[in-house]
This record gives sequence, structure tokens and C-alpha cells, in this order.
Amino acid sequence: MADKTVTSELESVAAETQSLKRPSLRIKNVFLGGLLLALLLFPALQFTSGRLNYWLHMAIYTFMYIAMASSWNIIGGYAGYTSLGHNVFFAVGAYIAGVLLVYFKISPFLTAPLGGLIAMAIGLLVGLISLRTRGPAFIISTIAMILVVKISFDNWDYIGGSNGLSLPAIKLPLAYTKMPFYYAMLLVAVGAIYLAYRIRHSKFGLGLRAISQDETKAEVAGIPTNLYKILAFSISGLLVGVAGGLWGYYLTYLKPSNFLSILVAAQMVLMAVLGGKGTVAGPVVGAVIFIAINEFFVANLGFTELNIVATGLLLLVVLLFFPEGIVGTLKEKGKLPQVLDWD
Amino acid sequence: MIQNLQILILGIALGGVYALMASGLTLVFGVMRIVNIAHASLMIAAAYITFWAFRLYGVDPILSIVITIPVMFLVGVGIYKLFFSRIAGTQRSGELTVLLTFALALVIEGVLGFFFSNVFRSTNPAYSTQAILFDPLYIPKGQFYATLLSLGLIGGLWTFLQFSRMGYAIRASMQNISAAQVVGVNVERISMISFGIGIALAGASGSVMSFLFSFFPGKHWEWIAILLALIVLGGMGSLIGALVGALLLAVASAFVSFHFGPTWSPITFFLALFLILLFRPQGLLGKKMEV
Repeated sequence: MADKTVTSELESVAAETQSLKRPSLRIKNVFLGGLLLALLLFPALQFTSGRLNYWLHMAIYTFMYIAMASSWNIIGGYAGYTSLGHNVFFAVGAYIAGVLLVYFKISPFLTAPLGGLIAMAIGLLVGLISLRTRGPAFIISTIAMILVVKISFDNWDYIGGSNGLSLPAIKLPLAYTKMPFYYAMLLVAVGAIYLAYRIRHSKFGLGLRAISQDETKAEVAGIPTNLYKILAFSISGLLVGVAGGLWGYYLTYLKPSNFLSILVAAQMVLMAVLGGKGTVAGPVVGAVIFIAINEFFVANLGFTELNIVATGLLLLVVLLFFPEGIVGTLKEKGKLPQVLDWD
Repeated sequence: MIQNLQILILGIALGGVYALMASGLTLVFGVMRIVNIAHASLMIAAAYITFWAFRLYGVDPILSIVITIPVMFLVGVGIYKLFFSRIAGTQRSGELTVLLTFALALVIEGVLGFFFSNVFRSTNPAYSTQAILFDPLYIPKGQFYATLLSLGLIGGLWTFLQFSRMGYAIRASMQNISAAQVVGVNVERISMISFGIGIALAGASGSVMSFLFSFFPGKHWEWIAILLALIVLGGMGSLIGALVGALLLAVASAFVSFHFGPTWSPITFFLALFLILLFRPQGLLGKKMEV
């Protein structure tokens, strides 16, 4: 299995160098460039109409989940280690940036990267312990990670305890408050996709995918599996932490029960699985589709309980019938549009 | 000294209940390698059955296990038929089943929340507020009965596994599922029945839980995390391990609760989990897991 992957990898690399000359690739680049340009210019409409706040909000939310699902994909998709505790990184990023804002008056736009780095360090520490196990025990340990952090935050008065911590809102006219968040989150999302893409095309990424196929064989083949897994786990925490820092400032309110709800982690996993884990485009497609469906349910059903049911049912259906996700299934059938083939 | 003894008694009483809750989880994992994240949400579902039986018809919560056990057995068989019979044993099924049961837990939580709202509930039979005194110590009557019932059910399960023909088959499947199949065990049927028994045990736990702890649909996340920590500590798939893990951790958490305050007591389970992963990843009584 492992050597087959390596050959297919080599083939795909060869195909890639050839395809540089293919016109379809140019179409893809034009499409992606155009999309990015449109996203960059989109907030300008706010100046003319001024009624875009809902759409800006949805865009910020979507960018955030694109960043988080793509990051999760590094450990959960490439390496095949399903983490159900990734919102710990989210909460750590949010609280680092939030505390620095409340007590030291430093803008989260400056401190969010720091939050990301600390989230990464925590990932390294937790990974050293959790990644000693495989399969179900690893997943369990990631759930435990959420609860340890939640209980600690709930009881830590300096950061507001279970009542939460209010942050001062950004000082901008109401029509423009969402702008900085929009661009910052877009940057994080693009960064996450780029990171996922670079890792996928590196020796490191190849090693991770070997681990997901057969860890023992990967180890025999000379891949430093432990180091790779721990690195993947901690790198996947980086941008989740940054996104958390921005999101906390955006909400102006930090509360352990919001940031450390298992539902946040569930959604990251669901988006990546829905889109197709292990592919670069998958988490992006999954995040966009999931959020669209979710908005539909919230708008039409309203009840949060039914929303949970819908999330669960969607996950069940995808897992049972399309375990490869949208991008993965389409790719298998050779029907994946060129513009979505980012691998 | 008296105080510590008292905490020990309360801890052990709690441990018996935890052991009942964890036994179904560990049985299901042992036979099918399914980590049933939905276990605790099914417990909560059974707690609601008990609650309404008590509220509407005055059925005693302990007696209501004669309803919850068969009902949840059938629910378990149904869930197995629907989701697991086709993917059991396929490649990477371990990870897939975790996500599947995770999704199932979300669905159950949402359905319960839709029907019963997120109000804290608990049943209050007379014994839930009384205590048995043997000066200077005491034990709450509800916990005493709950522990007796739990240990009785676990004993029954153990006897069943140890001495009945089907118990043999289940244990054989736990040891080595393909070898069990070779010697003629109908693994498909055994898996289905074990899953049913596992969920039936969750049902009994739900009845017990209804008068010991308050519950609401979203509560199951806290429970499942505790139960998973228990079975990892004891060694996943080991029934005795679950019992030992439950008693140890319940006593430890009772002491933590007394000395540091009740909000910190759940952290005992998770710190224990990380420690055990660090030093003995296969658990106290577990064999090394092949995945």
C-alpha cells in the first residue's frame, strides 16, 4: 500500500510538471486569482450600499472555519489522527489575545499571532502525551484535553472564570467595524490553505500520508513517525489559535462554554470530512457548504436543537455514504472540476 | 480520620455507579472495537424515560430498569443494524465508528433537547433525600441502593459472560474476533447482541442516574468524557479494568472534590487519563492494543 502511494505520488508530481503547460491550469489560476480579487474588493461595496454587515459577518465566519478545517486537516486528514479537541487551540488563542487586550491594552490584531504560537506550543506538549496512543485512545485524549482546559478556565478568576471576559469593542464607526476582521480572517484563511498546500507537497506531508495509511510500515520505511505526528498536531494548532484570537475580539466576549463547546470541534471535523479530508480543497468546500446549509436550517427552523440534529444527521450521512467527502468522491470518479483540484 | 473514611465511603458508592455506566461502554469496545461516544447520550435518554415514568405513573426509578433495560436493548440492536453491521471490520473502521457515534450523540442530544428542553431534571423518590446512619458515618440511601443495584447488574453480566454459552462466545470475540469466527461463533449475531447489552446497561445506568444526578440533554458530553477516561484507565475492553478504574477514580475525585471544591473534581479523571497515557498507554489491566 505504502509503496503504491509513493509511486502514485511520483506520477502525480510528473503529471504536475507537465500540466504546467496545460491551459486548464491557467483557467484554474485565473479563477482562483479572480476569486481572491473579488473577495478583496467585496467590502468596498459597503461604502456604496452600507448594508453588507450580514454578508461580511457570514464571510468572516466562513473564513474562520475554512482556516480551522484546513488546519485540522493537517493532523486529521493527512496523518489520519482524528482530533476532537481542536477548539482548545481556538480558545487558547482567543484568551491570550483577549487577556492581553483587557489587561495590557494591546490590540488582538498584533497579539493573535502570539496566541497562535502559544496554541502551537500547547499542541506540542499535549501531542507528546496524546500521540503515544493510536486510534480511539488518541481521540479520547483529545476530548479530555477540552475538558481539562474548560474546567481550568471556568475556575480561573483572572480570565473571568465561567462568567467570561468582556473585551472592549474596536473603536470604529459601526459601518466599518467588520472590515479589519474581514481582511485579517481572509488572510488567516488563505494562509491556512497555503500551509496545507505546502505541507501536502512536502516530504513531511508525504510522510504524514504514509502514517495515515500504515503507521508501522511508515516507521519501518524510516519516517520519524513520532516527530512527524507531533509536529503535525502542533502546526495544525497554529492558525486555529490565530483565528481564535481574532474571533474573540470580534465577539467582544470570551466565555469558556462558547469557545470550549465540543460542537466547535465537531464542526471543524464535519467540514473537513464533508469536503473530503486529506485534500487541500476539501475543508474549504466543506466549510462553505456546511455554513450555507446551517444558515438555511437556522433561518427556516430556528431551533438550536434541530440545528444540532441536522449537524449530526449530515455527519452520519456523509460518513456512511461518502466517507471520502465531496472532493474525494468526485476525484475518485474523475469528475472533479479542474478549479477545485488544488492538490 | 472519620472524615477521610466518610469520603472513602461516598467515593466507593459513587464508583459502583460509574462502573455500571462504564461496563456497557467497555463491553461494546471489547467485542467490536467501537468507541461508543453516544453511550452517555443514550444514558440520558433512558434517564428521561425513567423521569417521565416516575412523574406520570409514579414508577419507582430503580424498578423502572425493567422498562429501560429491554427498551434500550432494542434501541441498541436497532442502532447496530442501522449503522454498524455494514462497516464492522472494514479498514479504518475504528476511526469511522468514533465519528459515527459522535454524530449519533449529536442527533440524540438534539432530539432530546427538542422534546424535553434544556431544563435540569432529576427524579426524587423518597430515598433520594434520606441517609442511612451508622454513627458517626452515613451513606445517602439513594447512593446505597444505586451501588447495590450497579454491583448486582455487573455481577449478573460477569456471571453471564463467564458461564453461559453465549457469554463464552462473547468473550471469545473479545479476545480474537477472527479466531472466534473460525471456531464457529456467529460473530455478526454476537456483535449485535453485545451492542444491545451494552446499550441496555446504559439504560440501567440512566435509571440510576436519574435520582443521583441532575441531567439535561447536553450533559452527556461531561459523562462520556468521564466514562472514557475510566475505561482508558482500566484498559479498554476489560470489564474488571472498568470496575477497578471506576472505583479508583471515583474515590480520587471524591477527595479532590472535598479538598479543592466540587468544580475541580472532574479534572481528576482527565489528569488520570493523561498520566496513564504517558506511563501505561494500554491501561491498568489492558493488553497492548493493535489498531
